[in-house]
Amino acid sequence: MELFINLTINGLATGMLIFLLAAGLTLIFGLMSVLNFAHGGLFAWGSYAGVWLYLLTNSFIAGIIGAIFIGILLGFITEKWIIQPVYGNHVQQILITLGFMIVLSELLKVIWGPNQIAVTPPAYLTGSWEIGNILIIKYRAFIIVVGLLMYGLIYYMLKHTKIGLIVRAGVINKEMVQSLGINIKRIFLYVFMAGAAMAALSGMLIAPYAGVIHGNMGMEYAILAFIVVVIGGMGNITGSILAATLVGIIGSFMAYYVPELSLAVNMLIMAVVLLFRPQGLFALKG
Amino acid sequence: MNSLLSLKNVETYIDQYHILQDVSFEVPAGEVTVLLGRNGAGKTTTLRTIMGLNPPKKGEVAFKGAIMNGLPPHDIANRGIGYVPEDQGIFGALTVEENMKVAMKKESDDVMERMEWILNLFPDLKTFWKKPGGLLSGGQKQMLSIARAYVNETELLLIDEPSKGLAPIVVEKVMHSIQEMKQKTTIILVEQNFLMASQIGDYFYIIDDGRTVFNGRMQLLREDESLRRKYLGIA
Amino acid sequence: MIIGIALFVFPFIYEDRSMLILFTQIFIFAIFAMSYDILLGFTGIVSFGHAMFFGIGAYCVSVMLKHHEPTMLLVTGAISLGVLFSLIISFVVGLMTLRLKSHYYAMLTLALAGLFLVAAEKWRTLTYGNDGFTFQVPEFFHDRLHFYLVCLVLMVIVYFGLKRFIQSPLGRILLAIKDNEQRAESLGYQVLHYKIIASIVAGGIASLSGSLYALSLRFVNTSVFTMDITLDALLMTIIGGVGTLIGPVLGAAIIELAHHWLTGLAKVHWIFERWLILFGIVYILAVMFFPNGIVGSVRKLVSKKEKKEDVSTSENIVKEG
Repeated sequence: MELFINLTINGLATGMLIFLLAAGLTLIFGLMSVLNFAHGGLFAWGSYAGVWLYLLTNSFIAGIIGAIFIGILLGFITEKWIIQPVYGNHVQQILITLGFMIVLSELLKVIWGPNQIAVTPPAYLTGSWEIGNILIIKYRAFIIVVGLLMYGLIYYMLKHTKIGLIVRAGVINKEMVQSLGINIKRIFLYVFMAGAAMAALSGMLIAPYAGVIHGNMGMEYAILAFIVVVIGGMGNITGSILAATLVGIIGSFMAYYVPELSLAVNMLIMAVVLLFRPQGLFALKG
Repeated sequence: MNSLLSLKNVETYIDQYHILQDVSFEVPAGEVTVLLGRNGAGKTTTLRTIMGLNPPKKGEVAFKGAIMNGLPPHDIANRGIGYVPEDQGIFGALTVEENMKVAMKKESDDVMERMEWILNLFPDLKTFWKKPGGLLSGGQKQMLSIARAYVNETELLLIDEPSKGLAPIVVEKVMHSIQEMKQKTTIILVEQNFLMASQIGDYFYIIDDGRTVFNGRMQLLREDESLRRKYLGIA
Repeated sequence: MIIGIALFVFPFIYEDRSMLILFTQIFIFAIFAMSYDILLGFTGIVSFGHAMFFGIGAYCVSVMLKHHEPTMLLVTGAISLGVLFSLIISFVVGLMTLRLKSHYYAMLTLALAGLFLVAAEKWRTLTYGNDGFTFQVPEFFHDRLHFYLVCLVLMVIVYFGLKRFIQSPLGRILLAIKDNEQRAESLGYQVLHYKIIASIVAGGIASLSGSLYALSLRFVNTSVFTMDITLDALLMTIIGGVGTLIGPVLGAAIIELAHHWLTGLAKVHWIFERWLILFGIVYILAVMFFPNGIVGSVRKLVSKKEKKEDVSTSENIVKEG
């Protein structure tokens, strides 16, 4: 029983981190029809920049703020100079974002070196609570709380703010939104920056959780995020958090019982969803 | 002539296709100008060109004397042009209220006044205020689309085939409300239904093969059957 | 043409083992990149899983040679087997996935290639995972020169074979699909059909190059299935020139040479270890500004010049007239 709960909590924490990464991807895809293959690069950059600042200042909060800041900045650069020039051409977009992914992850190794960096959580998030026989590691609980808070925030923004309303309208019909006098390019930029910031935050949070960060972490987690986006349905935030939880928990249990197959199972789910339900497992209607 | 909008020798390409080859017309303020012509003649593209959705390659589109070539659609909309596309462009998953809110740039007195006026014209919208736009009937969608295009300080409304796919009785209703809207704003109407067009139009332009080939006051077309036969293929 | 002959003669004049190996490597990747061009350049399919077929070819040859007496016959058989596997797998994968939209397809191929990588890593009894294994090659290939010539000949054959393929009626249909899928569809072509054919051809040839790659190293490990292999093909094709066939060959040469040269410089400064960054940037600029790569851009320049000359000559005629 304890094992079951522990694995579930572990899976939930991983799921929340993947959700943060996937949330940006799915929103960007829904609104702009851009599948950002560089998203993992933004994630890795958030991780490295955040950890660097964290180790430098010894303040975890500073690390988080730094990660978000670098995410916003890189998001701006990516949208303005990488994606906008080829807007509307799917093949070029796919190719260019993948190219930018290479540049981002190589640049990372140039700046911080190719070796992995060890990271531990701050003192106040180290250790665990014991409830009966169940051990809850504080940092995991922290990640779950942050993930849920972020989901709540995104949900609120989409449902109850003007910009959220415009984003939802834009997902349905971009041309009409423009015809109503809204500069959709600016909305694209905002959404992209927000998505990049979330990816960077996820990268920062994952560092103490995984214990080490390394240069190729971007692609590794990006693949998980792609899987989540597909399972959850592109452009669907609630679908994303459900799918991320599913992928996280499957990953956690598989890693314990049959570690060989953990990634394979997730990929298989994605392949099956793509083939039989390309609109996503959690989409209500076409 | 006191024209609100004018097109001069406009040419538009979609991909490599030369859709508009030479379109020129003037839209007098406060009147309804109807664009007539066969299917595929370029009427919808004309509206999209004005809106900046298919920008013109050559020629000149001027609104209130200012040339608008190359402006992005949102800029054009903000100068006071509202667009009601052929498929109405309703945000189906958004409620009627939210559909209106997307359009409202600000909540000034003027905009609120317009809102009130248009909702009085289309009381159905008030009834289904919290209902998703996708669940409205065809006629109601048309009304919502028109209301949405009108609510900002719109001086010119572009309406693309409002009668398409609607039951005759609903068509009548929609046409009646367009007639009402004439008091408030200038209108360009694309319409296949000649009977309807002739009832509310003041001027007409005929577009054929991407060119404006004939124009005049609506009365002319109403009275001259041979003209109708020649350009529209109808009696 | 001259370059081709020069390449045949070159090893006899200039005897340098490392150069020979480098050029062999170029030929192998040129074959691989050309196969990628069939997808990207001639059909407009973006696949992020092309390494899948490269890896199948590599492992087919390696495993066969590991367990049996290395003879030429066996090598030929093993290569054919790899190609056959790839044909079947690309057919099945194509059938399942090619009806999806471009970004879905890119992702799914990425995922499938990932699956193959994971499978290769886990099936250690056969593959020895990431550690890999070495194997013996037939006597004939012990001489690097022989292998060089074989690869060169195969590259030339693949080049002319694919050239014929794309100039055939079938190839023209593929181009039509790339240009405008809907139009091709409405002209009555079974788009899916042709896309599958393209992916089968590309898969088979990729497998051939993978086999040669393993033979050249006399060693194989799971890296043949990694994203890096697909990235190589992408970089070579894009930088060399998408849809030109000769472009990927040129791209392969540029990237392999630069790789060789820049890694050599790594002793001077470690930053050269990160040579990929340079290519990443060139690649992005190419996608943005020179979507036809080096070859395409040069061709465009030349044809422009010719046109200008045409104009000036016609002007002359007018003047004279």
